[in-house]
Amino acid sequence: MLEKIAKYPFLKDAKKWVEESGVSVQDILYDRAYERTRIRGKERLRNAMDKADIGESGLATEPECVTEILSYPIARMLATCVNDPYLNGRYSLAEARHAYKNLGEEPTSFIMDVAKEFDVDLEVGEDLKIHFTDYLKYSPTWSDKWKLVNRPLKKGRIEISKMNGARLIQEALRKRIYSEIIDARPSKEMMDVFKKEILMIKNELMMREEEEVTTGEASVAKFPPCMKKLLGAVQSGMNVPHVGRFALVAFLHSIGLKSEEILGLFSTSPDFNEGKTRYQIEHITGKISSTEYAPPQCQTMRSWGICFGKDELCKKINHPTSYHKERWKSVKKKKDEK
Amino acid sequence: MKRKIEFLKEKFAEYYSNPNIEFPDRFSTRECGFLFFDRGSMLRHLSFSTEKELFQFLKERIPAHSYYSSAYYENPGAPTMEKKGWNGAEIIFDLDADHIPGAEKMNYEEMLGEVKKEFRKLIEDFLMRDFGFDIEEMKLYFSGGRGYHCHIINEKVIKMGNRERREIIDYISGIGLDERGIFHERIIDTKMYGKKVYPSSKRLEMPKPNEPGWKGRVSRWIIEFTEKLYQMKKEGKKEGAIDYLLKFEGIGEKGAEKFLDELSDDRVKRIKLGILDQSSGIRKIFLKEAVKRSAIDLSTGKADEPVTTDIKRLIRLPGSIHGKTGLKVEKVTIDGLKDFDPLIDAVVFGDEPVKVKIVRPTKIRMKKEKFNLNVGEIEVPEYLAVFLVGRGNAVINSISH
Repeated sequence: MLEKIAKYPFLKDAKKWVEESGVSVQDILYDRAYERTRIRGKERLRNAMDKADIGESGLATEPECVTEILSYPIARMLATCVNDPYLNGRYSLAEARHAYKNLGEEPTSFIMDVAKEFDVDLEVGEDLKIHFTDYLKYSPTWSDKWKLVNRPLKKGRIEISKMNGARLIQEALRKRIYSEIIDARPSKEMMDVFKKEILMIKNELMMREEEEVTTGEASVAKFPPCMKKLLGAVQSGMNVPHVGRFALVAFLHSIGLKSEEILGLFSTSPDFNEGKTRYQIEHITGKISSTEYAPPQCQTMRSWGICFGKDELCKKINHPTSYHKERWKSVKKKKDEK
Repeated sequence: MKRKIEFLKEKFAEYYSNPNIEFPDRFSTRECGFLFFDRGSMLRHLSFSTEKELFQFLKERIPAHSYYSSAYYENPGAPTMEKKGWNGAEIIFDLDADHIPGAEKMNYEEMLGEVKKEFRKLIEDFLMRDFGFDIEEMKLYFSGGRGYHCHIINEKVIKMGNRERREIIDYISGIGLDERGIFHERIIDTKMYGKKVYPSSKRLEMPKPNEPGWKGRVSRWIIEFTEKLYQMKKEGKKEGAIDYLLKFEGIGEKGAEKFLDELSDDRVKRIKLGILDQSSGIRKIFLKEAVKRSAIDLSTGKADEPVTTDIKRLIRLPGSIHGKTGLKVEKVTIDGLKDFDPLIDAVVFGDEPVKVKIVRPTKIRMKKEKFNLNVGEIEVPEYLAVFLVGRGNAVINSISH
């Protein structure tokens, strides 16, 4: 039982266990006995940033399990304190992916229970069955395998395997953790206790951004809002519609990124499949097809539903690449003035 | 032009003085938009909280085209989408003659017939069989123009976003279908070379026709098509069969002939069991044709303008009349669809004779009466006059009171 809730510390049972254990927030934050718990909490976040998974921790003994359970609220509190969109996406994805790995080993009945907690409407038949609306809500439909057209839809329901069920729960969990972190407000006490850690993580995130910004000609800071958002979404593993991926690749290509570099940017996505992504990229960039696709113009982006709102510069241009050019021009101008 | 507008306005005013309109559900949360006979741009961002208000508006303003939003809003009358506050939207499938191959060569009546056939396929084969929608969740309308609309009102569907709606469209249009999931190569014999086993004989298999989703659909089409060709062959209509096969993309005369020659009782039986024994070339043609002919073309032709995925579009108001035909946006039941004839059932105007000048020869059957009209002045029933003038096939010289 304890091992189970240590593996899935987001479940109601885990919450109940923490309440009944009598451990207070004060204890976790200050007590020396929970030093190891606090370290593991930070580790969850660090692993999330590095490898989009919170990482393994021993669960052989009771104290180890307790550490794992309590480190989960610590990690979430920390994420709330840092309040960085990239980290939020990355961390919720890491927790969800970790759970997915474990869920694959569980019996179907357990998967059903977890699905129920996440309002994923699964039904057991010979296989699992799911209503297509729930299926669409949580499935990575940009991948061929997951497209509805390739699924056995009958009377509104789709038969899926146990692993597929676990994958849908992964997405439901990611969405839930993400929105809970965003909705939570950090307390002053937490900010004080984790002062050092918060600063460290913030600095690290900033450094990472700089690193990304200096990738060749592509300065992410100079991207139009649509492309910034699409790139962020792809990297943090959100469901990005096919048209969004297409627009992003075509855009990155048009501003001079090589296929390898684009591939690099996509590689942080979960479900990342190098062969397939490479194929898609090379198709769009004209390397393996006779057509080289130009990125869509603003009007098309809007009709595809992937223009997420304009900023001041957007109002003056009608093509995402013009936005990027304008930004570079203004940088040059400033330099010249100096 | 002025006379045309006057005439149509007068007739529409008669209808809107006592219209037959079913007040749509949650109407006060929807946005309305109108086009007028004598004004270019659309008047939108309107909302009506009562039936009376709406009817009053129609009576006073006599719009040529009336629309309402498939979406429900917090403030439907607000000028921008942000301020409107989206609260979900019906899914609307819009089938129009534009989607029918060869429609440009058909007359209005033929076009409507073809669209209806496609529409029934959409309803029965996709929305009911696959998506499992109940009869009560689907509202069907003749559009008053060249097509049909199906509104889905289902709590789970209403909240779906663009990405999810796109998947539904792709499903119905057969976009993104993966061939590998449909045809299988089965190894039926092996040979040993030294200590290793190699396949020596393979055969191509397809899913059972009753399998759910596209798998069964593709097989059903292939079986139906093979039976049809075999029937033609047995009846000695070999040339017709070859002509039919030649319409397929990627098949030549030799290929068609070979395929037909090999068709036999045994062969058809094997195909029914799912055994294809065909080269991979033929398999591609099979799949492509099966998808093309069993899918429904829902996009407007422009890949970047998916109709059903648009969660904030306007759709014709049921019970209103279409400014270019004078026909009513008429509700149809699923059972009634088979016998529904828009040129009888969606006609609202009377039989009084009206003098018009035909400018484009027109053949049409309306209210069971056949008209074969050549250029020149003629008296026709009022319903036909409105139709002809609306479509620009006739002009009006004087208004008869």
